[in-house]
Amino acid sequence: MNEIVTTTNLTKKYGDQTCVDHLSLRIRENRIYGFLGPNGAGKSTTLKMLLGLVRPTEGTIDLFSERCTPKNRIKLLKQIGSLIESPSYYGHLNAKENLKIFATLLQVPDSNIEKVLQIVRLDKHQKKAVSKFSLGMKQRLGLASALLSFPKLLILDEPTNGLDPAGIQEMRELIKSLPSQYGMTVIVSSHLLSEIDQMAEDVGIIANGRLMYQGELNQLHETDSSKSLEQIFLDLTGKEQSL
Amino acid sequence: MITLLKCEYEKTRRTYLFLTVLGITLIQLCWAFYGIYREESLKWGWMMFLYQFPLVNSFFLPLLSVVISSRLADLEHKGVMLKYLAVITDKKRIYDAKLIYGLFIVSLCNLISWSATILFGYIVGFSGAVPLRLYLLYLLFTIMPTIVVYQLLHALSLLFQNQAVSFFTGIIGTFIGLFSMFLPQFPILRLVFPWGYYGALQFIGMFGWTKETRMKNVYFSVMEIDWVAFGILILMGIALYLIGEKLFERKEV
Repeated sequence: MNEIVTTTNLTKKYGDQTCVDHLSLRIRENRIYGFLGPNGAGKSTTLKMLLGLVRPTEGTIDLFSERCTPKNRIKLLKQIGSLIESPSYYGHLNAKENLKIFATLLQVPDSNIEKVLQIVRLDKHQKKAVSKFSLGMKQRLGLASALLSFPKLLILDEPTNGLDPAGIQEMRELIKSLPSQYGMTVIVSSHLLSEIDQMAEDVGIIANGRLMYQGELNQLHETDSSKSLEQIFLDLTGKEQSL
Repeated sequence: MITLLKCEYEKTRRTYLFLTVLGITLIQLCWAFYGIYREESLKWGWMMFLYQFPLVNSFFLPLLSVVISSRLADLEHKGVMLKYLAVITDKKRIYDAKLIYGLFIVSLCNLISWSATILFGYIVGFSGAVPLRLYLLYLLFTIMPTIVVYQLLHALSLLFQNQAVSFFTGIIGTFIGLFSMFLPQFPILRLVFPWGYYGALQFIGMFGWTKETRMKNVYFSVMEIDWVAFGILILMGIALYLIGEKLFERKEV
């Protein structure tokens, strides 16, 4: 299976503090990759580096088998949809108007707006000002904007943050359907083990900026059948915390 | 770029931005017209406008620039949208599109104010024809400092999430510009700060005013134009643009 994202020794330092430490990710095509780690482990910084929002201190990023450089960054990113740190959007505009702006920038047809609004089930609220949206609706709008160009790769940073249990379930089902329905690869970050467990096929576990485990989720389950997944996760991340 | 500008327009829908800036322009014009509408003004009307308007402009145009730049940038900061936009388009293009759009609005206000001035002169019956060459120069010397002031405020508004930074810089700068016109003994004030150039590029002087005769013997005359100051202003504008764009490009959002 092709690797759609490859990072080699990806590192980010802020002064003396190392946020991401020589991370080498291998993300396979058409899979859901769960990027798991405790709060402050470096998940968001890594995802921001993939999207060119943060400059790596060291290391390389390959997207779609092409080395990512400042020159080809936008060209490569056009094939990626993302939801990072839950934006609030242009609150005075409605959902459709917000998506219209993004569609214009992405140069995708207006018909995609209706499609994505239906996918995230916001079609009935498309005329409502976004400032009046609940958190869950804003998250769904975020997913809609990420899906707008029907990208090859979708990067979602903690997409279920702030959602109620029903919202989490709905978002999870939606994300799970994306690889099979639209041929997308999804990277989804979370600090909640149960969430990744129910959604992902592959998993990368990060703690203190270091990659502690990477592989199929099933294999992780099988590493020590006497332990729960939670215990394995705690063992992996705890080991790093104590270093 | 047209696409980005179209998006900028879409973003400002229902923000009442145009209404706000038109309101400020209207207040500016009312203030200026009220001050100039006296019987003795009719003789010198055209020149009086050119003499008095830079003072009025030095207060209102930077204020207008603060409002526009801050509102345009705040749309992105409030919605945490720069992260999203920077992924789908080049940050330099975001910077440029916002700058062009803001400059378009502020220049449009300049043009409205300029045209209204001429219209007002004809309506109240100023003596003689409008000195078009001088009015065109005045337009140039009004728009250019405004563009440079706007560039600085635009950079600050985008670089700092807290709009108080650009707001206070704008207000302090406005007062520096205003006071520099009353402090000719400190010409440095006019040349160091972009707000001072409304005064530095003023080219109409008023002569013959005394406490006793007041406006009776007053006459206005064209003075030497400070093209060196104009050159410095252009260089300042280019430098501010390059620095602002570079800093924004390097800023991690």
